[in-house]
Amino acid sequence: MLTVSVKWQKEVFPNVEIDTSQPPYVFKCQLYDLTGVPPERQKIMVKGGLLKDDSDWKTLGVKQGQKLMMMGTADEIVKAPEKGPVFMEDLPEEEQVVALGHSAGLFNLGNTCYMNSTVQCLHSVPELKSALVKYSQSGRSNDVDQSSHMLTVATSDLFNDLDKSVKPVAPMQFWMLLRKKYPQFGQLHNGSFMQQDAEECWTQLLYTLSQSLGSSTISENPDTVKALFGIDIVSRIHCQESGEESSEAESIYSLKCHISQEVNHLLEGLKHGLKSELEKASPSLGRSAIYVKESRINGLPRYLTIQFVRFFWKRESNQKAKILRKVDYPLELDIYDLCSDDLRKKLEAPRKKLRDEEGKKLGLKASEKSSSSKDNDVKMMDAEGSTSNGSGESSIATSQDGVTADADKDTHLTGVYDLVAVLTHKGRSADSGHYVAWVKQENGKWIEYDDDNPIPQREEDITKLSGGGDWHMAYICMYKARGFSM
Amino acid sequence: MAPDPNSASGSGTRDEAVVKVPAKDPKKKDEKKDEDLSEEDLALKQQLELYVERVQDSDPGLQKAALESMRQEIRTSTSSMTSVPKPLKFLRPHYGTLKAYYETMGVSDLKKYLADILSVLALTMSAEGERESLKFRLLGSESDIGSWGHEYVRNLAGEISQEYAKRQSEEASIDDLMELVQQIVAFHMKHNAEPEAVDLLMEVEDLDLLVEHVDSTNFRRTCLYLTSAARYLPGPDDILVLDIAYMIYLKFEEYPNALQIALFLDNLQYVKQIFTSCDDLLMKKQFCYIIARHGIEFELDDDMVVEDEDRYALQDIINNSKLSEGYLTLARDIEVMEPKSPEDIYKAHLLDGRASAGASVDSARQNLAATFVNAFVNAGFGQDKLMTVPADASSGGASGTWLFKNKEHGKASAAASLGMILLWDVDSGLAQIDKYFHSSDSHVIAGALLGVGIVNCNINNDCDPALALLGDYVNKEDPSVRIGAIMGLGIAYAGAQNDQIRYKLTAILNDAKAPLDVTAFTAISLGLIYVGSCNEEVAQAIIFALMDRSESELGEPLTRLLPLALGLLYLGKQESVEATAEVSKTFNEKIRKYCDMTLLSCAYAGTGNVLKVQNLLGHCAQHLEKSETHQGPAVLGIAMVAMAEELGLEMAIRSLEHLLQYGEQNIRRAVPLALGLLCISNPKVNVMDTLSRLSHDTDSEVAMAAVISLGLIGAGTNNARIAGMLRNLSSYYYKDANLLFCVRIAQGLVHLGKGLLTLNPFHSDRFLLSPVSLAGITTLLFACLDMKAIILGKYHYVLYFIVLAMQPRMLLTVDENLKPLSVPVRVGQAVDVVGQAGRPKTITGFQTHSTPVLLAAGDRAELATEKYIPLSPILEGFVILKENPEYKEDN
Repeated sequence: MLTVSVKWQKEVFPNVEIDTSQPPYVFKCQLYDLTGVPPERQKIMVKGGLLKDDSDWKTLGVKQGQKLMMMGTADEIVKAPEKGPVFMEDLPEEEQVVALGHSAGLFNLGNTCYMNSTVQCLHSVPELKSALVKYSQSGRSNDVDQSSHMLTVATSDLFNDLDKSVKPVAPMQFWMLLRKKYPQFGQLHNGSFMQQDAEECWTQLLYTLSQSLGSSTISENPDTVKALFGIDIVSRIHCQESGEESSEAESIYSLKCHISQEVNHLLEGLKHGLKSELEKASPSLGRSAIYVKESRINGLPRYLTIQFVRFFWKRESNQKAKILRKVDYPLELDIYDLCSDDLRKKLEAPRKKLRDEEGKKLGLKASEKSSSSKDNDVKMMDAEGSTSNGSGESSIATSQDGVTADADKDTHLTGVYDLVAVLTHKGRSADSGHYVAWVKQENGKWIEYDDDNPIPQREEDITKLSGGGDWHMAYICMYKARGFSM
Repeated sequence: MAPDPNSASGSGTRDEAVVKVPAKDPKKKDEKKDEDLSEEDLALKQQLELYVERVQDSDPGLQKAALESMRQEIRTSTSSMTSVPKPLKFLRPHYGTLKAYYETMGVSDLKKYLADILSVLALTMSAEGERESLKFRLLGSESDIGSWGHEYVRNLAGEISQEYAKRQSEEASIDDLMELVQQIVAFHMKHNAEPEAVDLLMEVEDLDLLVEHVDSTNFRRTCLYLTSAARYLPGPDDILVLDIAYMIYLKFEEYPNALQIALFLDNLQYVKQIFTSCDDLLMKKQFCYIIARHGIEFELDDDMVVEDEDRYALQDIINNSKLSEGYLTLARDIEVMEPKSPEDIYKAHLLDGRASAGASVDSARQNLAATFVNAFVNAGFGQDKLMTVPADASSGGASGTWLFKNKEHGKASAAASLGMILLWDVDSGLAQIDKYFHSSDSHVIAGALLGVGIVNCNINNDCDPALALLGDYVNKEDPSVRIGAIMGLGIAYAGAQNDQIRYKLTAILNDAKAPLDVTAFTAISLGLIYVGSCNEEVAQAIIFALMDRSESELGEPLTRLLPLALGLLYLGKQESVEATAEVSKTFNEKIRKYCDMTLLSCAYAGTGNVLKVQNLLGHCAQHLEKSETHQGPAVLGIAMVAMAEELGLEMAIRSLEHLLQYGEQNIRRAVPLALGLLCISNPKVNVMDTLSRLSHDTDSEVAMAAVISLGLIGAGTNNARIAGMLRNLSSYYYKDANLLFCVRIAQGLVHLGKGLLTLNPFHSDRFLLSPVSLAGITTLLFACLDMKAIILGKYHYVLYFIVLAMQPRMLLTVDENLKPLSVPVRVGQAVDVVGQAGRPKTITGFQTHSTPVLLAAGDRAELATEKYIPLSPILEGFVILKENPEYKEDN
């Protein structure tokens, strides 16, 4: 009989007796009573190794009063989860992109940066994507010509590729069909394709899409593109001489920002662009007279496209020259000032709400807010009158698919827009230089798509693309309407 | 010394001529001077001239009186040496005359008298190299040497060393010189000029004399000078000097200092002697703390500590069994017990725009990085947010889930990280790791084995749990399990020189069928266990293993760990490596030079040997074919050798800058690592900037090495600047998985132990070098020479070798019962006080804290209270405080 002390974790059990005539297993059972660790999981350190169940005490040379150390727990054994985690490294390529946080770049196929940057900007509109998916499922309807249909499908495919791929995509099919539909993009110079104006590409592509998507049979809305990008304009044409006045309405896809000596900021340029003089035959005077055309926005789009009119035809050099003037543009644009009176009335209520909500975020006093929202309700009743505002509560901001009815949309648009994409040009003329797209991702990060190379950028660098040097400067800006959640 | 006016003239055989040379047209000048002289001076001058005349008089009485007066004049004026004293100046023209007269004199007391005066005059008048002062001194009356003033003695000392060298070459007798030396040393030692005395004795190679002359007032300064001078001495001299310092400390019962020297010399005989000669038990406990910090194996016996009970208690301290407790005391005091997650370290929210998006899918690489970061940051705290989260209702507990968020070999590192989190806490560490032993996944078992090794790092336990647990797994089938067990043993028993393990491991080295990786890790483990031991048998085993490698295996990066293992055996052992280095010349040429460089670097590591640094630099200067690999170890070697002392370190940093500019790519890849070693846990701003620049290098391997090194120089400092740099790098390299991994590791290192740990192998005022720590860092750095194959491949667990160097950078004061005791201390920048007069301040820019406190690189602490007396002169790590019996409360 020996007595030893056994140390287990931080505990010490003094005076544990060992019956040296019994195998060590018996000793382990004794310890089981003390510690609750089953014998098979006990590890007892003796000289030169672990105590084995069948070894002989005599050969181990355990001495009276010796301190033994036992290791082992009754803890549950760690088991591998049945379904192991999936690692990004093991994923097929298209799934890795999700983790990357932004979509892929596009290879330059020979001076196609204008096309790449246009595609990247439009690709950032989720509503357009979903409409295209629907379109490619539904098939061609009769009122769309073959080439438009093909181009639309190619756009849909290309968007799809961009979403799935980690590596840059080569837009071969799209490029071919674009040239087929619009032969001017296939111009050759010295045996290679020429650089083109991105704005032209943008306009033409949107036109095609609006044609084919508008005709689509399943879409509830007759014209998706118009709903997304169309800006309703009412113009008052007024002749100073005769006092004649007429008004006309039209729908355009982009606002122009004219750049002149006085223009330093986007809004100034837009105002400039909405006011024009034209000469036309006056029925009352019987001759041509100067008319002033003043336009106002009457209907707001979900995505507001603004083009900086930076290029003008320079006769002497026979090329589209560029105005390098710096024109600042904001990350947050409010075009309330440019709206028609009708629209302004409609905007008032949602704008109040938006302001309240933002105020709440900033932690303004609750009392002010409640009082203002009361006024707001009254006004809204007055203003809206018969317009149904009950049905339009579905939030636009969160709606992905949301090509909702026009009327509803207006009630929630606030005239406040956030910058989501910038297409920039670097160089001295439209037909040369380099186009790049800067796109805000869903997670709020900005990515510069320089052809096949997506580069993360900081938000403050985005507003630095306003021109005034030889750095990239904004050519087309795309703003997304800010709604609010009810 | 005052400038010798004659030094300009080379022709100095005829003294008259020499005297006249500097004063051109002496008459004119004299006239002018005479005019300038005050009446007093003029009188003195005339008086002296009279004495000179009288000395040459035939009447001995008159002569004697003249000499006496002359001597009086000189003595009273030699007090200050800012300018040549007037009597000497006025006697100058007569030096030749007196000398000539001296020659004519017969032997008499008077002649000796005159010799004395001539000896003093020669101080300013003798020609360079003539050593006339000494000559006349030896001929003189041998009166009290100090009576002529300090400057005279100093000049004499200088002449003695010259004369000594001359006589040595001529093998002439030096007895008369030594007698003089005795006098001079005695004089110096009495007059606070210990450095001069030491210098003189070193010149005449008779330091033993010093022991007789030191007393309780001057031995500290003497020893301080001796120990710092030893750094700059070549060959066996340094050992000699330190031996003397040891003897002096022992003589004055300054045991802790003596112990430091004994440890520096790696002389366990001395350590034993200290234990036997000291009879204060509390003091012995302090010794144990010092030995424990140094990290060497030391067994106490009956002679050293008589009582069994006491011996166990002391052995416990040496075994570091209370290290975990002390560290946690520090952590609680600083209030950093709260576990940190990798996200707390990455601080991604501070990066706008550029950070990669919150991935919805787990990346195995990123999870592995998080595993390491988590392990480094929470090292030793016993709790974290990934591995030790208490098992809740969910099956398997949270630790299981994180473990299985790692892929294949990543699971090994994850399981081992538990060992790092529970570092030094053997009892609960082993209990927590236990559950992994029963896993069905071989990688998890491998990790558990490695984890056991890590927990036991720098800790000894009488029950030897690591050996008992790991021993059986060393020869298992699965190579990853084997590596886990082998590496675990290497880490747990580093420096232990355990024969039982040696038998087990050499058997693997001899096994030709063992896979290459198993062999490589076995060799490294043996190298660590026998670090700096020069063990023949282990060396043989590794050499044979190297010779057995096939041609293709020799090209593998893993094979290069074998020469390193060989080098570790001779770490810091200088010449002892030579026999093995000879053998290595017979190796296959693929590995020969690599082996050569590695052995050289390791053998002279931490010696500061300038010649070896130059030798290594020479190897780096060559421009080689691409396939050569030996320049990597050569560059690391420069850092390993030069890191010993501050001056050499600065020079090495500059040399490395040059290598960066002119070196080939393989050199440039090693330079950041060398910089990392030189400034480990010591973020010098210039090095930080260099590394920051290199971290953006176009060569990704240079960038990776620079990133890792940024982590090393900031290791355990929480340095905000480095943390910021790394954060920016993490967004810069967000797409490059390899570099991002390195950035993460570096981030983990910077926050090592939440800033409570250091990797610096030097401790005790940068005097002692812990061999185990250096071995750990060196192994990691050598592995980093080929990042892609090792750390970025499947051997990332080599990162855990760093645990060998991890030590709390604290000052924890304990009372006589070894319980923590909080006292005020001043902590400030250390000042070099070697050879300074008086009682200079040893720290500057200090702040007062109460213990326990953190000590940064270059910091020194001193007690701010008189109430206690520290038992160790160097306030680092654990320090026992004794109540001061003479202390009286102020009010």
